[in-house]
Amino acid sequence: MQAEASAVAASPATPSKAAAAAFVVLSQLGGAAFLYFLLKADGGWQVVGLLAVLGLGFTLLEKFPQVAEFARASLASLPLLTIAVAAVVVVAFPFAVGSNTYMLHLLIVAQLYAVLALALNFQLGSANIPNFATGASYGIGAYVSALLAINFGLSFWLTLPLAALAATLFGFVIGIPSMRTRDTYLALVTIAFGVVVQQLLNNFDFTGGPNGLVGIPAPSLFGHSFADPLVIFGHKLPSQANFYYLSAALVVVAIVTAHRLHGSRIGLAWNALRADEIAARAQGINVAWFKVLAFAVDAFLAAFAGTIYAFYVSYISPDNFTFLVSVTIMTMVIVGGMDNIFGVIVGAFLLTILPEKLRAFSDYRLLFFGVVIIGFLMIRPQGLFPQRMRSYGGRS
Amino acid sequence: MSALLTVEGVTMRFGGLVAVNNVGFSLAKGAVLSVIGPNGAGKSTLFNVITGVYKPTAGTVTFAGAEITGKPAYDVVERGIARTFQSSRLFGDLSVLDNVIIGMHTRTRTGVLDALFRPAASKREMAACVAKAEALLKAGSGDLYDQRYRPAGALAQADRRRLEIARALASEPKLLLLDEPSVGMDETETDALVADIRRLRVENPELAVILIEHDMRVVEAFPDNVMCIDYGSKIAEGSFATVRSDPRVQEAYLGKAAADA
Repeated sequence: MQAEASAVAASPATPSKAAAAAFVVLSQLGGAAFLYFLLKADGGWQVVGLLAVLGLGFTLLEKFPQVAEFARASLASLPLLTIAVAAVVVVAFPFAVGSNTYMLHLLIVAQLYAVLALALNFQLGSANIPNFATGASYGIGAYVSALLAINFGLSFWLTLPLAALAATLFGFVIGIPSMRTRDTYLALVTIAFGVVVQQLLNNFDFTGGPNGLVGIPAPSLFGHSFADPLVIFGHKLPSQANFYYLSAALVVVAIVTAHRLHGSRIGLAWNALRADEIAARAQGINVAWFKVLAFAVDAFLAAFAGTIYAFYVSYISPDNFTFLVSVTIMTMVIVGGMDNIFGVIVGAFLLTILPEKLRAFSDYRLLFFGVVIIGFLMIRPQGLFPQRMRSYGGRS
Repeated sequence: MSALLTVEGVTMRFGGLVAVNNVGFSLAKGAVLSVIGPNGAGKSTLFNVITGVYKPTAGTVTFAGAEITGKPAYDVVERGIARTFQSSRLFGDLSVLDNVIIGMHTRTRTGVLDALFRPAASKREMAACVAKAEALLKAGSGDLYDQRYRPAGALAQADRRRLEIARALASEPKLLLLDEPSVGMDETETDALVADIRRLRVENPELAVILIEHDMRVVEAFPDNVMCIDYGSKIAEGSFATVRSDPRVQEAYLGKAAADA
C-alpha cells in the first residue's frame, strides 16, 4: 500500500481511473488486513508493531499531503466501487475469521461502539455539545428492549423501534434542561443524568437491581434463530456471525443517517452553532431546538446499539452502562476526528480493540483513556481524520 | 404609507447603565438610515434590541405591521430582518460557501425526517442553495466567489465584511442592518462597498437599510436620513447636512469647547 502510494505521489493530483480503482481496492483490503492482524495479535509486541505501522502511515500522510489528497480523490471519484468493495470486505470478514468467536465478539462490540460514537458525533463533533450521557441512552435502549422482550414476549424487531423511541424521549428530557447551561456546566448536567440513570437501574426492582436482567431471548429472522450457527452456502459460521451482520447493518444505518444529516441544512445548522452561537441565532437558527434535536438523534441511535447489545449478550446489568462507557465513546470521537464519519468509526475500532489487546494494563483503563485524550489534544487535536469542508461536488 | 420599521420609546438598561434612552424612529420601505454617534453611544445596542438579542426595558419595535419587541432572534430573521456584526462573526471553520448557505436557514425547510427519508429532496434543496449562494458571492465586490471553498476564518478583513453582508442577504431580508460595514476597509474598498449598497437598492427597491457608520464617506453617500445618538439618546435627525451642522452633534463629536469655537 505504501509503495503504491509513493509511486503515485509523483503523478499529478487528479488520479487516472485505473490508479484510483487500484487504490480503492488495495487500500480497503489493506485496511481489512490490518484489522485482521490487530484482532489476531496476541502479546504486547505484535500490537506495538502494528501501532508503529499505523503511526508511520499517519506520519507519511502528514508529510506528503498529496498522498492524502490522492486517496481522497480516488475514493470520491469511484463511490460505487468504494461501497462495493467495502460491502464485500464486511460480508467476507467472518469467513476469514472462521471459528474464532473471540475475534467475532470483538468485532461486534467494536461495531456497536462505532454506532455509539457516530451518535455522539452529532453532538460533540457537529455541534460541540459535550454529552456524557450517551452511555445512559445506550443503557435505556438495552433495558427497555430487554424488559419488553422478557415481560411481554415482544420480538426483537418490535422492541428495536420502541426502545429507540423511549431513549429519544429521554434525549428530549435531558436536552431541554441542558439548554439552560453551556460548556462545562452542560457537561456536568449530562454527567449527572448519566449517573442518575445508572443508579436508578441499580435500585429499581423491575430492572433487577444490581443483578440486572437475565435470559433475554435470542432474536430470530424468518425462522432462523440468532442463537444457531449461520450456514451460508454450506459454510458454517458460529452464532456470533448473526450478530456481526446485524451490528454491521446498524453501522450502515448510522453512517447513512450521519451522512444525510451532515449534508443537509441540519448539519450546517449544527456546525453554525458550534462555531458561534450568537451568529447562528442571527441567521435564524433556533439554537435551543437544534441542540435538543442533537440530543434526540444521539439517544435514538444509541438505543439501537443498546438493543442489539442486550439481545447479543442476553444478560445486562447496570455495570454495562457506567460513566466509563460515556467517556470511552467520547474518546473515540476525539481520537477518530470530530465530525468525520470515517474517522469516528476508526476511532471506535481502535479504542475497542486496543484495551482488549493490552490486557496487562486493564487496571489502568481510565488512565489509558485519559492519556490518549491528553496526547491527542496536544499532538493532533483534530483527530486522526480531521473534519473536511463540504465540497458540493463542485470542487475539483 | 405605513412604515416598515417603527421603533417607539425604546429604553435599554443594564443595571444602572442606560445604554439606549427613549429612542424612537421609523423607516419606510426602500429607505436608508445612517446611525452615527461616538463610540459607546448605544448604536449597536439599538441593533441588538431590534434583532431580538436583547429585550428592551421599555418601548416597542414594530416590523411590517407586527410587534416584534423581545421576540427571539431567530424569529426576527424569519420575519425579514438580517444583520451583520460590528466585529465580524463568521463561522470561521466553515467554507465561505457554507457561511452563505447557513444564511438561508430561514428560507429552507428540510427537517430531520426529510433529510433521512427524502434524501433527493434534501439534496435538491442544497443544490438550489449552492447556486443561490454562488450568485450572491459573484454579485458583490471582491473575489469571494473564487475563494468560496476557503475557510471563512482565513479571509482578509475586507472580505470578511463582504461575506457578512452576503450571508445577511441570503436570508432575503426586507430590512438589512449593517453594523460598521466599512471597518478595516481602505478607500477603494469602501467605495466598492457603497457601490454594492447602491446596487442592492436598485436590484431590490423595497429593501430598507440601516447603517451604523463612522466613515462619513459612507454616510455622505446616503444623505437623506441620518440619526445621531449620544449617551443612548437621539440628539439629532434629518438629512446629512442638517445633522452635520447641528451644534449638539458637533459637541458630541468634538467636545463643547471646539463646537463653540
